[in-house]
Amino acid sequence: MAEPVSRRSFLKAAILAPLMPALLAACRRADDKRVVNFFNWSNYIGKDTLPEFTKRTGVDVRYDLFADEDEMFTKLRAGARGYDLIVVGDYLIPRFKSMNLIEPVPAGTLKNLDNLGPRFRRPVYDPDETTVPYLWGTTGIAYNKKKIKKAPTSWWDLWDPQYKDRVSMLDNVRDCISVAMQLLKIPQTTRDPEDFKKIRELLVKQKPLVKQYSSASYLNSLVAGEIDLAMTWSGDLFQTARENPDLDYVIPKEGTYMWVDCLAIMRGSRHRADTLRLIDYLLEPSVAAGIANSVRYATPNQAAQPEVDKVLLKDPRVYPTPALMKQLQLHHVLDSEQSELWSQTWADVKVA
Amino acid sequence: MGKALSWLLGGRKPLASHLLLAPASLWLIFLLVIPAGGLIVLSFAKNGPYGAIVWEFGLHNYARAFDPKYLPVLFRTFAFAAATTVVCLVLGYPLAYYLTFRAGRWRNALLVGLMVPFWSSCLVAYYSWMIVLGKEGLLNTALIRFGFLSEPIGFLYTPFAILLGLVYFYLPFTVLPLYASLDKVPRSVIEAAYDLGAGRWTAFWKVTLPLSLPGVVAGCILTFIPCLGDFLTVEILGGPRYYLLGNLISNQFMMAQDWPFGSALTSLLLAGLVGGLWLYQRWEKA
Repeated sequence: MAEPVSRRSFLKAAILAPLMPALLAACRRADDKRVVNFFNWSNYIGKDTLPEFTKRTGVDVRYDLFADEDEMFTKLRAGARGYDLIVVGDYLIPRFKSMNLIEPVPAGTLKNLDNLGPRFRRPVYDPDETTVPYLWGTTGIAYNKKKIKKAPTSWWDLWDPQYKDRVSMLDNVRDCISVAMQLLKIPQTTRDPEDFKKIRELLVKQKPLVKQYSSASYLNSLVAGEIDLAMTWSGDLFQTARENPDLDYVIPKEGTYMWVDCLAIMRGSRHRADTLRLIDYLLEPSVAAGIANSVRYATPNQAAQPEVDKVLLKDPRVYPTPALMKQLQLHHVLDSEQSELWSQTWADVKVA
Repeated sequence: MGKALSWLLGGRKPLASHLLLAPASLWLIFLLVIPAGGLIVLSFAKNGPYGAIVWEFGLHNYARAFDPKYLPVLFRTFAFAAATTVVCLVLGYPLAYYLTFRAGRWRNALLVGLMVPFWSSCLVAYYSWMIVLGKEGLLNTALIRFGFLSEPIGFLYTPFAILLGLVYFYLPFTVLPLYASLDKVPRSVIEAAYDLGAGRWTAFWKVTLPLSLPGVVAGCILTFIPCLGDFLTVEILGGPRYYLLGNLISNQFMMAQDWPFGSALTSLLLAGLVGGLWLYQRWEKA
C-alpha cells in the first residue's frame, strides 16, 4: 500500500537533518545582542518609554504582555525562560522569592533609587529591597453614570440584587478575598477556617449577580454596556474613561487597600547589566512621570511629581491627600499557609 | 489496544517504515506519553508552601477529588458535552448528507468552506462571537432594528453562548467522520433498495442510515470527548456560574497553584475517557 520512499527524498532529509543544530545555534547567537526581555501587564507603560530607552542606549527591549498575574506566575513557574525583567504585585513577591524565581537588585547599583518616596522604601512586603516599586494604585468600584442613577458608595453595592447580571468582579484572589474580609470585619491576619467559610459564603452569595470575573476584558464590557458596575483597579478605569466619559471611579466608604507593582529581575537573566540600566532609566523622574501620565496610576517616584499631570495630581482618588494616605494601608503580607487558605477559598468560590 | 500497539511498533514491517515512523513515535513519546506519565506521578505528590511540589506520595489528592462539591461541575460538563454532541449531530447529519449526495461539483468547495473557520485560532473565533452576541453587538442591533426586540438581550455569558461556541467549534469534528462514512455507502446498494420498491424515506431508514452508523458513532465520540475538557469556551463566552471540568482543572494550575490536585483531576478525567473508549471498543466487537 504505502508508497516506497524514493532514495532521493530520503537523502534530502538525511542531509538536512544535521543542519538543524547549526540553525538552532544561529538562533541562539542572535540572542546575544544587547537586549532586555521585559514581561509586563498590558497597558502598563508609556508609548515612548521603551523606544526612547533604545534610542538612548542602543539596547533593544523585547516586550511581552500578560493580562493575569496568576497566569504570569504559572508561566514562569512552569519554566518559561528568557525573561530578564518582570512586573510583579507586592503580594506575590514572597511567593516569587520562596520559589527562587527572582534575583535581588544588588544594593547600590541604582543611582535613581532615591527618587522614590519614603513610603516606598523598605516596604513590609519586601524589606530588603530586592525589587523596585514601579506604579501603585487602589482597588475600587467603577460604574456607568448614565445607567446607575445612585453612585455606589459601599462595597455592599456590588451585592445589591437590583444590579443582577450587571456586575463584574476582578478575577484576583487578593482583591476579592480582602473585600469580603473588610465587609465581614475579619482581619487579614486570620488563619481560622471558620472565617474562610464565612468569606466563601459571602462571595458565593454574590455569584448570581456577577456577570463575569475578569481582570482585563471587563473594561471592554463596561465600554460596551455589557456591565455597569465593576470592581476595578484605579488606573485601568481612568484609562478606559478616556474612551467612555460616562465611567467613573469611587473608593467605597469602607476604604480600600493600596497595592504596589514592582520591577524584579528574573533569576538567571543573561542581560543583567542592561536590565539594571533599564530599571534605573524607569526611575528617572521624567520617565516615571511619563508612564504615570499615560497609564493613570500613581507613581511612587517622588522626584517625578512636578512633571505629573496636574489633573491627576489633584485627584485624591489617584494621589490621596496626606491624611488619606496615612489611612491607606498595604495588604497584610501572607505567609504560605494563609496564602493557601486565600487561594483555596477563592478557587472554591469560582467552582461553586 | 493490542492492535494499536503492534501497529505502533511496526509489526513485521521493514526497517524503512520503522525509520519513517520514528518521528511520529518520538513526537508521541515526548509530547504525550512522557508528559502524561509525569502528570500521573505528580497527582500523587503533595502541595507545599506557595504551591511548591513536595514529593511525598499518597492518595490524598484523589480523596479530595471525590468531594461532593465538585459533583455539579461534573454533571454540568457532561450536560454541555452531551448537548453539544446532539446539536452537532442534528446539524451535521443533514450537512454531511448534502455534501455526499447532493453537492455535486460544489462538494470540494463546501468541504473547504467547512474547514476554513477551523484554520483560525478558536480564540479569534470566540472574540468574533463576542462582537456578534454583545449587548451592542450585531445580533442585538439587528433584532432591535427589525422590531423584534425593544431592549438588548445579554446573550453573552449565558449557557446559550457556551453551547453556541462549542457547537461552532466542534461541528467539523462531527461532520467529517459522517461525511467519510456516508461517502463509503455504495450507491449500488441504495439503488437496489429503490429497485426493490423502497421509497426515498424507506431507503434512507433501512439502508443509508444503518450503513452510516459507524460515522455517527465516530463523530459523536470526536465531539463529546474534547468537549469534556474544554475550558476556553466558558472562559471567554461563558459566565462565572457555568464552570466546567476544564475550568476546574485550569484553575488548580493557574489560580490555586495546586498542581498535584490539578493533576489528580486530569488523571481521573483521562482514566474515565480511556475506560469509556475501551468499553466502547469491547461493545463494538461483541
